[in-house]
Amino acid sequence: MRVVLIGLFWLAWGAALAMGTPPRQAAGPGEAAARPEGAASVMLRDDDLRTAPSASASVVKRLAKGASVRVVASEGGWTRIAAGGASGWVRVLSVRQGAQGGADLAGLVEAGTTARDPGRVVAVAGVRGLDEAVLKAASFNAAELQLLGGYALGRAEAEQFAQAAGLRASALPYLPSPGAAANNASWKGNEP
Amino acid sequence: MKIHAFSVKPILALLTAAALGIGPARAGGLDDILKGLLKPPPAETPRQPTTPTAPTQPAAPTQPTAPAAKPEKPRDQLLKALLGGNASPEEEARIGQQIAGNLLGAAPLVRDDTLQRYVNRVGRWVSLQSERPDLAWHFGVIDTDDLNAFAAPGGYVFLTKGLYRKLRNEAELAGVLGHEIGHVIRKHHLKLLQQSQGIAALGGFLGRKLKDESQVVQNLIGNGAEIVARGLDKDAEYEADRIGMVLTARAGYDAYALPAVLAEIGHVAKSDKSVSLLFKTHPLPEDRLEHLSEAAGDRLDGLPEGQAGEKRFYRLR
Repeated sequence: MRVVLIGLFWLAWGAALAMGTPPRQAAGPGEAAARPEGAASVMLRDDDLRTAPSASASVVKRLAKGASVRVVASEGGWTRIAAGGASGWVRVLSVRQGAQGGADLAGLVEAGTTARDPGRVVAVAGVRGLDEAVLKAASFNAAELQLLGGYALGRAEAEQFAQAAGLRASALPYLPSPGAAANNASWKGNEP
Repeated sequence: MKIHAFSVKPILALLTAAALGIGPARAGGLDDILKGLLKPPPAETPRQPTTPTAPTQPAAPTQPTAPAAKPEKPRDQLLKALLGGNASPEEEARIGQQIAGNLLGAAPLVRDDTLQRYVNRVGRWVSLQSERPDLAWHFGVIDTDDLNAFAAPGGYVFLTKGLYRKLRNEAELAGVLGHEIGHVIRKHHLKLLQQSQGIAALGGFLGRKLKDESQVVQNLIGNGAEIVARGLDKDAEYEADRIGMVLTARAGYDAYALPAVLAEIGHVAKSDKSVSLLFKTHPLPEDRLEHLSEAAGDRLDGLPEGQAGEKRFYRLR
């Protein structure tokens, strides 16, 4: 009985860690959110484990797609992981990060977590979900569309916002589709 | 899906031919069929995709009625434009407006001016990084706890309050909006209408007299806002993810914000009702992340670190 209770406690604690928003919001703007336990994660593709968060850093070892790793921290495009006794950095997109604090707890505890969010509980009672039936039955709401139009901004206002926020536009080409078939012109849009 | 996409046009052409009693010898190309179907307007040159010619207002926020004297009936214009794959910006906006109005009929805007203005600032800035910076872009947060986001032709972009609550910073908001902007600039929904709704729409056009333009548009998009529940080709979703990521980075934000949102959504139980439509209409988050991972490869290695915009991020009460 005691063992079961302790087990439940750990489960609940894991749930709070995994899904609770406060710890993540508390992480500063420095991007390097330390995760001491390490989140159970999996390699999404073959990639090199490196000694530093840079493509020019030396390679510790090659990690294969599907390998289990634990994510310790992330920094920009790189993430620090522990994998089979070794540790180092891989590209953040090479890893699918699991929920913090354990294996695939996220799904298990989701229901309990949502119930703890007071704002959500209130809203669930009043607002129906956007399912197919609701969308299909929807009728045109001119008043809402007019309201929406009132919030629309021009180019100059957006540029003003960006300048005040210190956001600078930069050039970066679109990423080509990795599949050769999808490179077909049929999905390339109609732009002249 | 590719096969499907390529096979629709001939079928359409044949159906049209059959409906009009044109012999198979004339059913060679869609353009020929359209020429037979639609009497050419007396003094109008063929539609140029680059030069908008129609004098109608693009995005009047009320439901417009049919313009009075026109050389070509709106329904014929729309039909021709859609089947030919070159709707004018005005027609595109008209279709988007109808879809947006219907979607807002299903879920109204969250009553929070600060939120809506904030989302428009971020969204408009991200849209400026696209190749259609001067569309009449509209952004809105709609009042439902579902996790989802929607786009409609002509620059309409919505995300749900449920999804907004999952976001941790402004970069993640930019990433979500960037994905939807990707759908708009690549005209994914117009293509969906053109490909799969085309036959049904054609039947509607030929079969009955429709009173005004809004009826024509509604007939095209089906019932209410069901078009947003139908889902796009998964390649279109992957493409929108790639575009969303790049637009986020171009706008000066952390490029990895959209993948972070996908990872976060991936932690929601698949059985949770709040994601049932999202997962039904999109590839699963893990597949989308895998696709992004492959697409990015080492192409983003030298990317300067962008802003997360955590302090600016407007948090819902």
